[in-house]
Amino acid sequence: MSVQPAARTSASKVWEENAVPRHRIQWCPGCGDYGVLNALKLAFTRLELVPHEVLLIGGIGCSGQIRNYLNGNGFHGTHGGPLAYAVGVKMANPDLRVVALAGDGDTFAIGVENFVHTCRRDPQVTLIVMDNGVYGLTTGQRSPTGGLGQEFPQFSEEEPPPFSPLRLALAAGATFVAQSFSGDPKHAAEVYVQAMEHPGFAFVNDFSPCVTYNKFNTYDWFRERVQPVPADHDPTSLEAAWELLADFRRRGRSPLGVIYRSPRRRKAQRRVPMWPQELEGVDLEPMLRAFR
Amino acid sequence: MTNRLKVLVGGVQLRDGVGTVVDLLGRIATRAGLHVLANERNYASTIYGAHQFDPILICEEPPLSHGDDQVDILVALEFDSNPDAPQQPNRDTILRHGAHLRDGGVLLYDASTGTVPTQALEARGIRVFPLPARQIALRELRREVVKNMVVTGALFRLLEFDMDQRYLRALLEERFARRGQDLVDLNLQAALRGRAIVEEVLRERGWGDVGYRLEPRPGGEPLLFLSGTDALGLGAIQAGCRFYAGYPITPASPLLEFMDRYLPVYGGRSLQGQNERESIRAALGASLAGARAMVGSSGPGISLKVEEFGLAGAAEIPMVVVDSQRAGPSTGMPTKTEQADLRMAVGAGHGEIPRIVLAPSTLEECYTLIMEAFHLADKYQCPVFFLTDLTLAEVRKSVPQRLFQETRVRITREGVLTEEEVQRDGFRRFRLTDSGISPRIFPGTPGAVFKVSGTEHDELGFVTTDPPKRQAMMEKRMRKMETYLREDARGPQVYGDPVGRPVLVGWGSTKPVLLEARERLRAEGLEVAVVQITHLWPFPTRLVKPVLEPATMLIVCEQNYSGQLADLIQERCLLPTRRILKYNGRVFYVSDIVRGVHRIVRHGAAEVRVAEALPVAVEAHEGE
Repeated sequence: MSVQPAARTSASKVWEENAVPRHRIQWCPGCGDYGVLNALKLAFTRLELVPHEVLLIGGIGCSGQIRNYLNGNGFHGTHGGPLAYAVGVKMANPDLRVVALAGDGDTFAIGVENFVHTCRRDPQVTLIVMDNGVYGLTTGQRSPTGGLGQEFPQFSEEEPPPFSPLRLALAAGATFVAQSFSGDPKHAAEVYVQAMEHPGFAFVNDFSPCVTYNKFNTYDWFRERVQPVPADHDPTSLEAAWELLADFRRRGRSPLGVIYRSPRRRKAQRRVPMWPQELEGVDLEPMLRAFR
Repeated sequence: MTNRLKVLVGGVQLRDGVGTVVDLLGRIATRAGLHVLANERNYASTIYGAHQFDPILICEEPPLSHGDDQVDILVALEFDSNPDAPQQPNRDTILRHGAHLRDGGVLLYDASTGTVPTQALEARGIRVFPLPARQIALRELRREVVKNMVVTGALFRLLEFDMDQRYLRALLEERFARRGQDLVDLNLQAALRGRAIVEEVLRERGWGDVGYRLEPRPGGEPLLFLSGTDALGLGAIQAGCRFYAGYPITPASPLLEFMDRYLPVYGGRSLQGQNERESIRAALGASLAGARAMVGSSGPGISLKVEEFGLAGAAEIPMVVVDSQRAGPSTGMPTKTEQADLRMAVGAGHGEIPRIVLAPSTLEECYTLIMEAFHLADKYQCPVFFLTDLTLAEVRKSVPQRLFQETRVRITREGVLTEEEVQRDGFRRFRLTDSGISPRIFPGTPGAVFKVSGTEHDELGFVTTDPPKRQAMMEKRMRKMETYLREDARGPQVYGDPVGRPVLVGWGSTKPVLLEARERLRAEGLEVAVVQITHLWPFPTRLVKPVLEPATMLIVCEQNYSGQLADLIQERCLLPTRRILKYNGRVFYVSDIVRGVHRIVRHGAAEVRVAEALPVAVEAHEGE
C-alpha cells in the first residue's frame, strides 16, 4: 500500500490511512482497546512518526487486530510470538520503530517465555499489553491476570490467583515498566510516548476492560482503583519500584504511570546488509584461513 | 605409498583426545596434499567417559566414500580402565574394534598401565606396538597433555610420514605462536619419543616396516580440511545470509558456533534463542525486516518449530531451515545418524503451504546447494528445508580451496521492490499473479507499508474469510510451487545408464557409499546405476519418473525404518520400489549395500534391513 506524503493530510489522519476504516473495526462497542488505539494515534502524532518507519506486531486475540486499525507496517504471527519476532526485526534493522501490541493471554500465558527473555534482551521495542484478564476472542476464558481484585475463598490448580505482570517484568530485568488505563487515553498517550522514547525494551501494561466477558474489572471498577504514581517516586530506583508496587498492593490500588525506567548501556548496532550490492563480493578469507 | 589407509582412533571421550589426534592427522595429511575423509565420528551423548572412536581415511586420490568398517591401523588411546567398563583396563578400543582390524594390520596402544594380551590379533599377522605414551608424557616430559603427541609421533613413524617433522613443526608453530617456542619444542620432542618407541619395537621384532606408508604429494592444488557444517556455513554467508538463529542441539550446535563466530565479521547477527521457537520467530522477524535469514536445528528442535513453518508459508516470509537429522524418534540417539525427517520436512504442520525441500549429498553440496536454498527462499517467499544429517554435518574432508573461491552466485533479492519501483508500480503485498509470486518490500521503504499476516488475508494483507478471496489467495500461494517445478526444480543426479538395469536410488549423505557400491558391483559383474535425488519437494515427478521408469528395479537405500523416499517415489511416480534400510545409528558401509543388492537381485528380496555384521563387545551406558 502506498503512503500519502504527510503534508497532504492532517497529522492525526495519517494514522487512519491504509487501515481498516473505523466503521469496520470489529471490537465490541466500549471495548478498552479503542482507548489504546486513540492513545497510540496521539502518541505517534506527538512523536511525529512516519508510517513507513513503523512496524506494528500484533498478537493473537481481539487486541492484536489493532495492527490493522492503524497505518504503518503490520505483522501478525503465531500466538505468543510478537516479542520474539520483534527481537529479530530489531536485530536486522535497528532503524525501524517496532511496537508489539498484544493481550494478556498472548503475553503472559502462551508467550511468557518471550516476555521474560525480551526483558533480558532489552531490544528497543515497545510492548503495550491490552490487559483485560480474559481471552475475549474465544469467549471469555480466564487469563493469567484474570481475577484481579477478586476475593477467592480458596485456590486450586484450575483456578490460581492472578499474577502481576509488573512484578514479573521487574524480576526479569525489564528496563522500562509502566502502566496505563485505556479509560484515560490522554494519560496513556503520555506513557506511550515515554515508552517509545526509551532506548530499550519498554513494557506498558494497559488496563483495557473487556465489556463483554469481564463483568468484574469494569471501567468503573478501574476508575475507583487506579491512582497515579506519586510525583515524588524515583523511577530510576529499582528498590523504589518494588516498594511502590508493595505500597499499592497493600492499599488495594493499581499505579498508573512510569514505575521503573533505567536504560542499560547498549552496544551500538547497525542494520544488517540486505541489498544485493551490500551482499556481493564478500571476502571469504577470514573463514577459509581457519581450515588450512 | 599406501593409496588408501584407514586409521581408527579410539579412547575415552573427552579424557583421551580422540578428536585431537584425528584433527592433527587430517590437517597435516591435507597440507601434505593427501585426501582425507573422516565420515564416521562416533561419540556419545555424554560429555565424559564413554567410548569414542573416529575412523579417518587417507588416500592418494579423493576416495569415493568411507568404504567399509575394516581398518588398517587401530590406535587405542585408553591408558587405563574406561570408567564405563572397569573390568577391561586399557582394552576397550581393542575389544570393540580388534575384529575390524585387517589381517596384517597394525595396533598401536597406550601401554602405560601394562600390556594387554594380543595373541589372537598377532596370530592374524597384526603387528602390535605397545606404547607407554601417558607414562612418557608424565614422567619424562612432565606434561600429560603431550601424550597424544607421543602417539602422533609413533603413528607418523609407522607410516614413515613427515620424518623431518616439517609439517608437524609448521602446524605447531602456528598453533602455539602466542605461547612460545618452548611449547613447540616440547611437542616435537614428544613426537620423537613416540617415534623412538616404535623403532625399538621394530628392531626387537625384526620388522623392517609395517607395510603402510604415507607420502606427501606437494605441489598439488591447495586443499582445505573442514567439516560439512563449515561448508554449509561458508555457503550461507556467501549466499548473503546475515541472520542466523539456533538453539543448542546435537548435531546442529556447530552451525550456531560457526555463525556466532563469522556472521559479525560480515555485518550479520547470530542469535542463540532461549528456545527453538524464539529462534525461528526471531529469524522470521529478521527475514520480514529484509535479512536473508536461516535457522538450524535437529529433529526435536524442528518439531518445536513446526507452527512457524505454517506462518512462513501463509505470510510468505522467506526462511531457510537446516535440519541436521539425527536418530529419532523423540530424543532418540542424539549423536547417531539417520535420515528419517523427510516426511516431516515434506508435510509437517496443519493446513497446506508451499514449501521446498532440498537435500545435499556431499560436503561440497552443503556449500553449493545452500546458496540455491537462499535464492529459492527469496524467490518463492516460503520455507526451504535443507536436510542434512549428522554424517554430513560432522564429516571432515579435504576439499580443493578453489571450490569456495570459484563457486559464487549472484544475489538478486528477487521480488523485492525499491522505493522507485513502489512509486512507479504501486504495491500490493499479496497481489494475485500468474506465477503466484507477489512483490514485497523491506519495511522502512519510503512511500509504502505492508500488512502481513498468517491469518487468511486479501491482496492488501487484511484479514478475510470471504470464500472467493480465500480461494484465490490459497491458489496464489500454491501456484508458486507450479512455477518452481517449471523454472527451478532440478532432476536427479544420474550415474550410469539406468535403462534395463537395477538402479540404486538415494538421498542425502549416502550417495558416496552408493557410488562406491556401484564400482564394487561392477567388479563383480553386476552393472547398476545410481540416482540421487537432491530436490525432493515439490517432488519433480516430470524429471524423476522418466529416469526411473526404464530401470529393471528400483532399490531405494535409506537410513530409516520405513523407506520414506521409497514411499514418496511410489506415491508420486507410481513405480514399485525395493528397499535397503539401516537405522541402527551407524552409517551405511559399501558392503551393506553390496550384500543388500545381492539379496534383492539374486534372491528376490523386497526389503533388506541391514544389521551390524559383527557384535559390538561392550555397549557403554549412555545418558541423554
